[in-house]
Amino acid sequence: MMDYILYALMALTAIGLLFIMLERRVYRIIIYTAIFSLIISGIYLVLGSPDVAMAEAAIGAYAIIFLIVVAEKYYKRDRIDAKGNKVAPVTIPKKGASLPQILLGFVFVGGLAALFLHFVPTGIEANLDLRTDYLLLSGEQVGGQNVIGAILMAYRLYDTLFEALLLVIAVMAVSHLSWLGKDYVTDGRKSDIQKDKVAFYSIRIISPLILMFGIYLIANGHISAGGGFQGGLAVACFFICRYMIHNIYDMPVKKVLKMEEIVFMALVVVAVLTIFIGSEWVPYQHTVLFQNFQLIAANSLVGIKVACGFFILFYRYITIERTEK
Amino acid sequence: MPMFGMATIELFAIALFFVAIFGLVTSNNAIKSIVFMTILNASVITFWIAIGAREGTLPPIMETPDHIYRIAEMSDPVPQALMITAIVIGFSVTAINIIMMNTLFRRYKTSDWKSLYDMMRAETVGSGKVLSDIVFEEETKEGEN
Repeated sequence: MMDYILYALMALTAIGLLFIMLERRVYRIIIYTAIFSLIISGIYLVLGSPDVAMAEAAIGAYAIIFLIVVAEKYYKRDRIDAKGNKVAPVTIPKKGASLPQILLGFVFVGGLAALFLHFVPTGIEANLDLRTDYLLLSGEQVGGQNVIGAILMAYRLYDTLFEALLLVIAVMAVSHLSWLGKDYVTDGRKSDIQKDKVAFYSIRIISPLILMFGIYLIANGHISAGGGFQGGLAVACFFICRYMIHNIYDMPVKKVLKMEEIVFMALVVVAVLTIFIGSEWVPYQHTVLFQNFQLIAANSLVGIKVACGFFILFYRYITIERTEK
Repeated sequence: MPMFGMATIELFAIALFFVAIFGLVTSNNAIKSIVFMTILNASVITFWIAIGAREGTLPPIMETPDHIYRIAEMSDPVPQALMITAIVIGFSVTAINIIMMNTLFRRYKTSDWKSLYDMMRAETVGSGKVLSDIVFEEETKEGEN
């Protein structure tokens, strides 16, 4: 039964990919990409990884789509050049890929595939010792019921730290690259969503539920699927909903930036302190209360950190979208 | 039908990888290229999740104490934990890609690779400059105003 679902999802993914490849209008590409991400997150769910499916659905079907829509909306505007003439932007290529391009692509990809076929290691054996160890011992050593949460928040907390650091670097790069001296945000522009009453009220009803869901994911990350990343993304999604319905653009970005720095420092401190877990110095370290407290604290810190990072990224993109030039 | 000792889903992920590279090199629109980068990321993640699901496809969550006897059916938690990290890093890469595209768009008013290439070539060839010089000039000029 599972096999047939998997084959159906693979066929749908292939169809989605074909639609993306043959389409030239950017708005349609964005919608097809969202659908593609949702289908591929279904594949992850069937293969037994609900955490990855949740993260992929959140990132692929809403975060990336939001960024591309904002950029595309910015590109679509008419510009005025130095001589005062209107310049229509070219966002849709006049023609698709030409024949030499396709041939070159085939040669390039064929070469790569030939290399792969030449060096393909037959019969890869996964090392199962680590898997068995984590599955058997995580409940006793770390606590909680979600083994992935245990790996992310205790066994490999430094990986998580590195990933949070990369998000900080991405936020810094986006803030730096999107800063241009002449930008200013005009006041009083209504967002398009306010004209549509159905969308307006449905977002208004859904957005508190999204916030609650995000907090639930963070707080329950150690006993069920979910955790800091997914919950943080949902919380950031709540702020986007608020922007869309209330048209708020003067959000407290500097405070959020400060908060992100403080939370990141706290995460570093927690990561350093986990070295001492397992030694005799830490009392009560094998009680359920201690373990749950440690996991919830780490999950909350990562969740707040990710929510702040995504909030600032989204805010920078909103500033681009609202800038008049 | 397993080939190269791999399951169908793993071969599918590898095929997805090559198709994404093909789309990346043949697309004329910069936004489409960025979309294919995200698909490339998704294909690699699919491959690792498929490798982890060889033993079984039960989620590695110990809902009841009895689940400890079913670990033989569970999927591998280690690649899953690493792939959550990879997804967030892929998102960071996409965000930086789009913002770089935005910087190019401010100057050349197009996201068509062919026109972009022609305009950059017209500005850089013969003047002894490289692209970064031009962008840097533009930024300092705007900063002064």
